[in-house]
Amino acid sequence: MQPAGQYSRDRCITGVHGLDEILRGGIPYGSTVLASGTCGSGKTTLGMEFLVRGADAGEACAHFTATEPSVKLLENIRQFKFFDVKMVDSGLINVFDMDVLYSWLGLEKSSFDLDDVHSLIKAIVDIVNTIGVTRLVIDSVTTLCYKIKSEQLIRDFLFTLGKKLATLGCTTILIAEITSATENAHWSSFGVEEAIADGIIVLGDVERMGHLLRFLQVVKMRGTSHSRAKHAIELTPLGVMLTPMLKWGAVSDTHNRWGA
Amino acid sequence: MKMFDLDQGIADQLTEVSLNSAIQVRCGNSNAFMVTASTLIPLLQAFEMGGVYISASRGAAEVIQGFEAIGVDVSHIQFIDLVSSGILGGTTVPYSNVHFVDSPIMLESVLLRTLYILKTTDNERNFIFLDSVNSLAIYNEDRMLAEYLHTFINTFRQQEVLTVILNVPDQTPPLVLSNLDLYCTDLIDRGQVVIH
Repeated sequence: MQPAGQYSRDRCITGVHGLDEILRGGIPYGSTVLASGTCGSGKTTLGMEFLVRGADAGEACAHFTATEPSVKLLENIRQFKFFDVKMVDSGLINVFDMDVLYSWLGLEKSSFDLDDVHSLIKAIVDIVNTIGVTRLVIDSVTTLCYKIKSEQLIRDFLFTLGKKLATLGCTTILIAEITSATENAHWSSFGVEEAIADGIIVLGDVERMGHLLRFLQVVKMRGTSHSRAKHAIELTPLGVMLTPMLKWGAVSDTHNRWGA
Repeated sequence: MKMFDLDQGIADQLTEVSLNSAIQVRCGNSNAFMVTASTLIPLLQAFEMGGVYISASRGAAEVIQGFEAIGVDVSHIQFIDLVSSGILGGTTVPYSNVHFVDSPIMLESVLLRTLYILKTTDNERNFIFLDSVNSLAIYNEDRMLAEYLHTFINTFRQQEVLTVILNVPDQTPPLVLSNLDLYCTDLIDRGQVVIH
């Protein structure tokens, strides 16, 4: 494991089948990437695989969960054939409940002010720094941002957090919940996350004759050229698998592809 | 019990192909199973290959039972069944080597599931048997199916996985048929059934 802030490589190889190819080698180190998706589109699975692949390569990883208890999350990680419980025992995979973190920080309240946001940033950065985390997932940033009432404060929170994590060489995936992943949709709930993030990976469903086909699309990734095509995905015990989506099959029913 | 004679000519033709070949096997309605068996049995027994059978014409259980009836063990190949999920209770089968995809319309899922199975098997040499293009053509629009076959064939040729594509030509749209002729490297033509 390399100490935080010292890297010989310039890419964080995600290890996700096909994603590194799309990104021409991986996510540029220290990037903050927004993984936005509709429910059931595979965002949490993508985040978990990102961490387990990292741990498999000897990197220290952390997952901050606000959507499901850490115990449940660890149970779900077991589905991966490349997961080994030693990754948790040896401290390579660290899962933190946001509720517990709020409790430690005395932030058990419905909304956060500027001081609260800064103490939260400090806590996350301290954990990353202490453990030497090089891969971080926050699931979900949407749930977290619901507590921050002002758009300016959300912007400040994400910008400061991203900047500090980048300084530490930590590559971060912020999972965001959206209600639609169509062409006209925003890639984030509050509209500011997408502007701050270095990269945006959108996950959603294409409806094809009544069936939902999951897709992944890299909309933006600073510091690397990348494919912007839609890719069909399957969630398997070997992780997320991708293949380019058929060009004639990427348009949903409502766009008259089937001659209705 | 053998209900028909296997077509030795198919086995002979298979000796001529390489692993990165894509073979279009044309058959008619009445000889489809004989042609399937004549193709698959040499691959399993003479060439000792493993592989994936994608069944879009009939449920995988029915295909397996067909082979069992002629004394052929297909338990070591994996089946991807595109039919049975559309039938209530159809996915309850007594075979552990059957995987289900919701619909023949989920073409990318079929490709990914096949890739997944290939990654989890340890056979040295594998084939993909697609049964059949004309069945996929029932559900999928011509351009999309032609595009899919292009991707499908090239994906497995690149991985040195022998691709065998069963097709009843008179039930396949002309665009798909002409593209299939273009992409496939070899043709086994048993499309005309000779009645003796």
